[in-house]
Amino acid sequence: MRSLPVVLAFAVWVAPGLSVAQSASATPKPYETLPDWSGVWSMVGGTVFDRATQTGQGGAISVGVRSHPPYNAEWEAIYKSHLERRDKNLFPDTISNCGVPAGFPRHFNLPDPYEFVVRPEQVWVLTENGPNVLRIYTDGRKHLDDQWATYTGDSVGHWEEDTLVFTTVALKGFRDKDVILDRTGLVLSDQSHATTRIRKTDPKTIQVEMTIEDPKALTKPWVVTKQFQKMPAGTRVYDYGCAENNRNPADVDTGKTLILGPDGTPLNK
Amino acid sequence: MRTHALPGALVIAASLAVAVPLFAHHSNAGFDSDKVIELTGTIKEFQFTNPHTWIQIFVEDKKGTKTEWSVEWGSPNSLGRQGIRPSTFPPGAKVTIRLRPMLNGAPAGGFVGAKFEDGKTVGRWE
Repeated sequence: MRSLPVVLAFAVWVAPGLSVAQSASATPKPYETLPDWSGVWSMVGGTVFDRATQTGQGGAISVGVRSHPPYNAEWEAIYKSHLERRDKNLFPDTISNCGVPAGFPRHFNLPDPYEFVVRPEQVWVLTENGPNVLRIYTDGRKHLDDQWATYTGDSVGHWEEDTLVFTTVALKGFRDKDVILDRTGLVLSDQSHATTRIRKTDPKTIQVEMTIEDPKALTKPWVVTKQFQKMPAGTRVYDYGCAENNRNPADVDTGKTLILGPDGTPLNK
Repeated sequence: MRTHALPGALVIAASLAVAVPLFAHHSNAGFDSDKVIELTGTIKEFQFTNPHTWIQIFVEDKKGTKTEWSVEWGSPNSLGRQGIRPSTFPPGAKVTIRLRPMLNGAPAGGFVGAKFEDGKTVGRWE
């Protein structure tokens, strides 16, 4: 919120989530009444964030591939500039240099295993990639009036039968140019917020439906649905030490993703 | 199809462009998705590390000049879940590796498959 008065910015992003937060019960649901989301899960499909509106053939780094969020003209132009750089391999993934979370809503657009840990007071969505943690408070608390923006934001919610409904606010978005939604270059602003519904649609599928609003970047709510399939029983989840041996940093000057030789010298500078 | 002077390398096919693996941590646009080459050499080390694994291999050309190649593969986590281990590529072993080479001809590429002297294969070797 660097460029906006705090009060104004807060009013913009918190308002849609306020009713949900206030309507939540102050008493967490008893553990035995919560749904069983145990196990290890993986996202279905590739990492183009909005595959429902995808045009072009291939994955997020394929030339010509893009999604079509309801951007206004200004943010469509921003996205197009990212796409042009992506086509030249000059739009780096913000996580390639390690050290920052994927952020929300990209949290639900990552490869590698997921875990959905359901507790009465909180739900944790853990991703091996990163790793990242999304904490969703279900103990009746509300969003803070003076919450500062972060990568993953602040999430509070409640249960509607077996569906977890939560709002996420206080997101940095692309304010500091270190949060993207996918490698096509999709981004949102620091006024973005979302209402998310998670439910198990069958024993082997968890569905995450995000309704994203962004008065700075979008002309209307943007609904994106991701699905996660259960991995084989006994699947293990491991460390993801991004900085352990990162031979693919992004060149800060050009944005090019480097490939380092065994002595650390870039092979493609 | 692009061609480069790759010492000790054999271009085996241009039609293996499908199913280019996604690297979970960064773009793999630096590799040539239209080409697969084959190298034979000796394993220096298998860097079974995050975010991606790297097979370091010494390849000798006809003049006896050794070049160290870097072959990038998936994360140790995903490979480990598929049964790959740090010992899969033991130092000193002779191996033939198929890879998608770098676009600029530098000695590196994306792993496709490997075949050891005893006939054991790893990855895609159909």
